Order: sequence, then structure tokens, then C-alpha cells
Amino acid sequence: MLRPSFKPTMRKLALVAAAYRRWGRQVMAIIVKEWRQLLRDRALLSFVIFIFSLDILLAAGAPGFDLHMARLGVIDRDHSLAARDLIYRLRAPYFDVRAVVDDALVLERLLERGQLRAVLIIPHGFERTLVQARQPADLQLVIDASNSNLAYLVTSYSERIIGQWTATRQSPVAVATLRPGGLPQVRLQIHTRFNADLRELWFSTISELLTMITVASILLPAAALTREKERGTIEQLLVSPLTPLQIVSGKIIAMVVVTLLGSAVAIGVVMHGLLDVPFRGQVVLFFAMVALYAMTCAGLGILAATFARNSGQVGLIVLLLVMPIILLSGTWNYIESMPNWLQVLIELSPLHHFVPITYGILLKGADAAAIALPAVKMTLLGAGFLVLGVARFKRQFR
Amino acid sequence: MENPALIELSGFSKRYGKTVAVHDITLRVERGQLFGLIGADGAGKSSLMKAVAGVLAFEEGSLRVFGTELNSERAAEPVKARLGFMPQGLGLNLYPDLTVEENINFFARLRLVAPAALRTRKEALLAMTRLTPFRDRAMKYLSGGMKQKLGLICTLIHTPELIVLDEPTTGVDPVSRRDFWLILTQLIQQEGLTALVSTAYLDEASRFDALALMHNGRVLAQGEPDSLSQRAGARIVRLHADRSALTALATHFAQLETHDDEARVYVECDDDLQAQQQVLEVIAPSSAQSLSVHLPELEDVFVALLRSLEPLSASTPHWTGIVEHAPVSGDNGHAIYAAKLTRDFGDFRAVDEASFTVNYGEIFGLLGANGAGKTTVIKMLTGIVPPSAGIGRVAGADMRHAGQAIKERVGYMSQAFSLYTDLTVKENLLLFAGVYGLEPPLAEERMRWVIKLGGLQGLERTATGSLPMGLRQRLALGCALIHQPRVLFLDEPTSGVDPMGRRHFWDILRTLAHDDGVAILLTTHYMREADQCDHLALMFDGRVVADATPAQMKADFSAEHGQLLEVRSTNPQQVLSALQAAGFAQAIQHGHHIHVMTHEPDTAVLRIRAALAAHGLADAQLVAQALTMEDVFVQRVLALESSHRHARARSRV
Repeated sequence: MLRPSFKPTMRKLALVAAAYRRWGRQVMAIIVKEWRQLLRDRALLSFVIFIFSLDILLAAGAPGFDLHMARLGVIDRDHSLAARDLIYRLRAPYFDVRAVVDDALVLERLLERGQLRAVLIIPHGFERTLVQARQPADLQLVIDASNSNLAYLVTSYSERIIGQWTATRQSPVAVATLRPGGLPQVRLQIHTRFNADLRELWFSTISELLTMITVASILLPAAALTREKERGTIEQLLVSPLTPLQIVSGKIIAMVVVTLLGSAVAIGVVMHGLLDVPFRGQVVLFFAMVALYAMTCAGLGILAATFARNSGQVGLIVLLLVMPIILLSGTWNYIESMPNWLQVLIELSPLHHFVPITYGILLKGADAAAIALPAVKMTLLGAGFLVLGVARFKRQFR
Repeated sequence: MENPALIELSGFSKRYGKTVAVHDITLRVERGQLFGLIGADGAGKSSLMKAVAGVLAFEEGSLRVFGTELNSERAAEPVKARLGFMPQGLGLNLYPDLTVEENINFFARLRLVAPAALRTRKEALLAMTRLTPFRDRAMKYLSGGMKQKLGLICTLIHTPELIVLDEPTTGVDPVSRRDFWLILTQLIQQEGLTALVSTAYLDEASRFDALALMHNGRVLAQGEPDSLSQRAGARIVRLHADRSALTALATHFAQLETHDDEARVYVECDDDLQAQQQVLEVIAPSSAQSLSVHLPELEDVFVALLRSLEPLSASTPHWTGIVEHAPVSGDNGHAIYAAKLTRDFGDFRAVDEASFTVNYGEIFGLLGANGAGKTTVIKMLTGIVPPSAGIGRVAGADMRHAGQAIKERVGYMSQAFSLYTDLTVKENLLLFAGVYGLEPPLAEERMRWVIKLGGLQGLERTATGSLPMGLRQRLALGCALIHQPRVLFLDEPTSGVDPMGRRHFWDILRTLAHDDGVAILLTTHYMREADQCDHLALMFDGRVVADATPAQMKADFSAEHGQLLEVRSTNPQQVLSALQAAGFAQAIQHGHHIHVMTHEPDTAVLRIRAALAAHGLADAQLVAQALTMEDVFVQRVLALESSHRHARARSRV
């Protein structure tokens, strides 16, 4: 009795399978076409190659949180042993010390032209005050704060160096007379995890890669779709039996694969191979997440393309999207220090969810469970973008 | 004294990298001439014109304009002040957001026209082009024909002695085209201008004083239009015959056009009788009916010249019989059924209750001026744009509800070339085979078929962008046919294609329709192509205003307006005024020819002869001409336009 009902079900299944195969064949045709077009578009191809190779290398060499050879002018009015000893401590590789003529006008000019980052002035009688120890000995540090980040670095490095030097100046005799057991002291034991040597390169290259994945996965599908509108080829696709979803998926899948390939080269060859950035988590998990993220961004790209009439416009719209995504992501800044209203908006930045995933897998060796929450949030966001993008894509030809 | 040459080229060549755009051209344009450059896209017309206008450097030969050798940018500067140049493309040199008047003022200031002179000249030119009522309208809201007229004003505002116009009539409908030519001719006569004008329409050739036929960067022939036809040393024999006789003719004469039972045979023979004899040697005299011998038209001459350069790359195509002939049920066998099809864009009604039917095996031509609604009709029937009201059924299914399945029975070729120029021929075909979900073995088979059909053998690996227009269009047709649709939509499929390419394209269309029962709906601005359709519908202002076979349309028109008489003279201007004085107010100048419509040809002939003799123009020839589709189209649309204006004026009162 089971047999008769079984057979039609099989036939139905075969039909459904054939329909899916056909659906796939149609999308595959679009995917292959997109790859061929990208391979022949020299400008776009060079851009993609650049952002996943040279650009990452450049980011590795970019200055960031370490102070290196900051030009420091010194005016020594004391001409004492202590002054010379102090100047000796402010040396390479942190500072590049240069003697400066004691003249307010010259000083002003040097700072204005950016020839000096800071000027240390040691006043007359510095050593005497220091030795007498009745009152603190004054030093003056004039800093060019037009680059506030650099100014902050100069401040903290010089404070630390001068502080350490001051400690050595506290003569053991004087200390001993105060209290036999010595001065009360705290010793801080710092234990850095995930990046033991605090290598800034690890952080900067990963951040750059995240930025570039974002740019590529928004721009590539957006450009691919706009190009069709611009040249009028989209009409030929619209009268074909392709659904808008198929057209959009073809483009997204093709470009996600390109982004994956690019990231693989950037991570495998440039970062892991050349720059020794570690890869501590599961490779498959990581690239699955990159694919998911690229799809999320591609949804945004499709949405952007529906607003643009030509390639020039789509470039501008993509720029408008990428900047806030990066600024709101917490890649280059701390989310905790943002105003409260901004902290709500960051949930809309797909990169904000992808940042903990990447650092987690690459540096902390996180597993699937550890990154589940941001992954789910990112997926929801991506689904939203895609639905919006496809809906607008359908509507704009009506 | 010989008329001084205004433009002189000798041994002129221009290359772009390795590509030779223009090769070894020698040309001479005299003062006061309307000189035409005729050729398809890529013939080298634009490069030649840009060089003359002093905006393009060239490699070889010499080029003299106003007697000045243009061999450096500095030499070109004084020449530029004395000429006006209008580049190719509808309104591309104008600013869309500026009004008509602002555009004119801008070009005048650019050319340092004095304000007082500008005021009078602007008014004169606006009045002449009938753009005065539109002076405050932004350029982007003008029709194609009006844009070109505005372009002409901007080119003429500084009173140049020479104007260089690059394809001013491309993409413009026949009515606006005729209007443009009338204005241009008038201006040339009034101002003693010299004009170098290029066109892709061969039927405009008779409007020039002299012309050069260009192909692939070379000049194939040059001279006066009439003398070119005479010098060809050939005759056109027209006749009606049965199918077997036509087949026999096709094997003997390489250049043959057939339509139903009618044939036009190009016979390379300089004598009427001998030409007739040569045709009758091939078929039995009894099987030929209403045989007549004519001088070849310029298009025939052009095709003959092209044929001598490159013999047809493909033989007449034959359908492989893959399409099943099973009629699709419903709609009484109509392939396309449109009933009160309407589409609004905001307040603007683009298509207004259009109704027509197309049968399987029929080539259906949709004619109309720019903006008449043709493209929107096609977009509704292919499902790109949903109709606001009315019914559109294609292959038995309503386009609005049929979904994706119906699209597999429909093929579409859009107005602009819509293939991927960065992909090769084979890759484009692979893409569309995939898009239509063909299984790999079937896709392979269809691709071979399309390549054979389009004569694209050996070009499979060529980038589509580097193909000549004719081949591109055949490939586009091939891509639209890869799934073997039952209904085919073609929106201006042959614009920019050389005449031989167009003929080949039409051979394929006829095979598809007549042998394999495919329904074809197309639009065209070439009235010769309209003549080849099985059925025509004329659209005006979104409505279908006429719906008949070409022959029926002409017959109706004849019944209404009479017989067409053509007066040929070396002095058309005097002939025109003589005829108008003699009471033929409707006489129209058509290049060197004057056209007169009359219900009583016999008495009219006598009256014309008398009028000509009285003005000492007895050398003019008088010929009774068959009506062309263009005559019918232009007259009909003009009549509709004037009644439209009257209706609007009445409704305003």
C-alpha cells in the first residue's frame, strides 16, 4: 500500500531537484561572467590586488603608538652635571635630541615649521635646587600639540623617563635617614596576553585588513551592479527568466569569493608569512566568518548601487558608507569613550560585530562558541541589508 | 574661375594606437557646398570631422581649411574662430539643466559675440527653428529633434562660415529629421554657409550637393549623389515572380532583395534593355510580372561597393528546425495581443490605450516619432515595466501574472547595444545560455547554431567591443535567440549598422519569421526597413493611429493625397519657387528633387511643365515616383501634429 504514494513523491523530489539545479546553473552563469569581467577590468583588478597585499605591508610600517626618534630641542641654561645626565637619558630610539640656541624667536620658528616636536628647557640653578631638595626642581617642556596623539606620546615618554631618573637621584643616604626600611614602594607586575611583546604591527595590520575587507566587499558588488545599469545590460537580464534575487546573488557570491581569496593572500602570505602575525584559531571558522561578513557588506553594496546612476556616484556613496562603518566599529578607537548616543548606532556597523570575531580567532584562538553572539548579530544585520537591497533593486525598474 | 576649396584633404590618415581610423583620404569641399560623409559606425567619419574642426591631431597627409594648413595647434586657432562644430550624440554638447536661452547665451559668450548682435541673431535663429516658445524650457525636457535644433543654433550663434555637424540626425525620427534638413538647407542658402555633415542614413544622401561614401576608414566613392548612381554602371530590375523563379534569381545575382513575391535585382549592366535581358535569361519571361528597370539608388551602389570589398561572410541562414511548430493555445493563435495597453509615468501618459495583435510568422513594425511610446510598449510586453491599465498578452499569457516562465518564450534586444563588450563572443553566448538555464550539451548545440546563423564563425574568441556594429547586432540577436523564443522583440536593432549588415540582419529576421513561425515585433527609424515589415502600426503621442500592411498604408495615403511627382533639377531652389508660384503650395524640396503630391497627375504634369518653361527651367526632368514609406510616415505625422495642435488650441478656449 505504501508503494503508489511513494513513487509520485520521488518524481516530485526529482522535479524539485532539477529546478534547484537549474536555479544554480543560472546563478553560476552570472558568477562566471562577473569573474571574467573583473579579470578584464585592469583598474579594479589592480585596486583589489593592492588592498590585499601592498596596502597591508604599508600598514605594518605605519607609525602608531610607539614613540620613535621624536625631534627634541634642548635649551640648557644650567650647564650642570645633573642637566647633562638628564639630557643623556632622553635619547634614541625615543628621542632625537638637538641643541637649540637660547632664543625665544628661534624656538618659536622651529616649532612652527615642525622641525622640532618639543623643546625641553632646563632653567638656571636646576641642579642646586635638586640637590638641596627643599622644593621641586622645575623643568619646562614645550610640546607641539597639533598632532595630539604624538603630543600625548611625547608627554608620557618624557614623564616616565624623567620620573625614573629622579628615582636614581634620590641618594641612598638621604633615603636611609628618613626611614631604615626604605621608602614604601609598589611594584606592578604587567602580564600581557595575546600579544606578549605588545607588537603594534599585529594590531595595525589586522585593523587595516578589516578596513580593506569592508571596502572590497561593499565596493565590488556595488560597482558590478552599477556598471550594468550604466551600460544598459541590466535590461537584457531583466527580460530573461532570472529573478532579481538570482541576479543579486550571482554578483554577491562572485565578489565574496574574490574577497575571500584576497583575505587568504593577505593573511597567509603577507601577514602570517612575511610579518609573523599569529593565526591561533581555526582556519575554516575564520574564513567562514569572513564570508559571512563579506555577504553582510555586499548587501549594503547592493543597496548603495540602487541609489547610484553611474560608477562615479557609486564610488561616492560607498565612501560615505565605509567611513562611518570604520569610525563606529571600534577598530581604531575605544567604543567606551564614545558618547552614549553613538554607542547605540555602533550596533548598525557590521564591522563592530566583526572586530571581536577577527581578533578573537586570530590572536586569542577563540572557538565558535566564543564568537557566537557577534556572529548572530552580524548575520541578522546582513539579512536586513540584503532584503532591503533586493527589494529596492526590484522596485527601481518599476 | 574654379570655386575655391574650403576644405582640402590629401593622403590624410589618422591612427589610434595600432588601429587605423582613417586611411589615405583625399577630399575637397567647395565654398557654399553641403557636403555629406556617409557611413556606418566606425567608418571614420568622426575622426575626419574632428580633424577638420581642429580638435584632433593626425599622422599623415595634409589638411587645409580656409587655405590654412592645419599642422599645429597654433595654426588651428584662427581657423576655429571661423567654424562651428557640433559633436556626435543627442545634445551631448549642451547643458541639460540650463534653459534653451541660457544654452545659447553661454555659447555666445564663449565665442565673444557682442550683446547687440547676439540679441538679433538669437531671435532670428529661434524663430527659424520654431524654438521661440520653448526658450525658457530646460534643455533636458526637449525632444530629440528639438535638442538637435538647439545644438545647431549654438553652433551657428557666432556666424561661422563653415559648420561641421557630426551625425546630427542619428536617433532622430524621420519627421524631426526632415525638419532639421529643411532648416539646415535654408540656413546654408541664406548665409552662404558651407557645411560638412555626416550621417548613417543613406536615404538622406540625396540632400547633399556632394558626398563621400565611407567604410572602414576609406572613401569608397565620392561625387554628386545622382552622378554616383549613374556612374555605378548598373540597373535595378524590379519584378514580381513565383518562389522558384526568385530562388533561381538568387543563385545568379549576388545582390537581390525579395519581399513576398517581389524582387529587386541589382544587374551590373549600363543599359536598360540589356539589364532586363540578363534577368529574363535566368527566369522564363512568362513567370515575371510587372517588370521595370530603374537607376540604382545610392544604397544599392553602396552595397555593391561593399560587396566587392568583402563578400558576405555567411550564406543565407537556415533555421535548423529546432523550434517546434506547435501553436500556442489561447488568443486565437495571436503571438502578441495588446488591448488598451496604457502606461503613466507620473502625470505623463507615455502609452495611451494601445491595441494591436501580432501573429506567429509575422514581422510587425512599430513606427513613430521619438517619444511616441514605442519603447514603453515593448518594455510593457517584455515585463520590464508593468502596465498602468489594459491587457498585454504574449505567447498566450498575461505578462503581469505569468511570472518567469513566460520569459522563456520571449527574446528581447534593447535599443542600446546590450551585450558585455569586455567579454568575447563565446563568453556572451555562454552567459545567456546559462541565464536561460540550458543544460551544457544543449547550450553547446545552440551556440554552434547561433554562430552559424549570425555568420560569426572564427570570431568566438574576439572581444565583443572590437567587433563592427553589424556583427555586434547579429550577436545580440543570437543571444536573444539562444533559448529559441516564440516571440522576439527588437528595439531599433539596426541603428548604426552599414547597409550590407542591415540586409544580412533582415535575411535572418525573414527566415525566423517566415520559415519558422517566430513572431517579431520591432521598431525602426529606417523607412526602407518599415517597407519590409509584414504589418505596421504607427504610434503618435502614445496612441496607435494606423494599423495596416505597408502596401495598404501607401494605398490609403495615395487615395487621400494622390500621386507623387518628382522634379529633378540642378536648380532646385528656382524650381521650388516656380512651382509654388504656379499654385503647388505643397511642393517640398528633397535635396536636388522637388516632390509634389497630386490627384490629377496628367493635368499636373502639364501645369508643371508650363510653369518650368515659363521660368526658363525646361531642362528639369519630371518623373512619376512610387510613394516611399517615408513620405507616408512624415505626411501622416505632420497631419496628426497639426490636428493635435488645433485640438489643444480649441480645448484651451
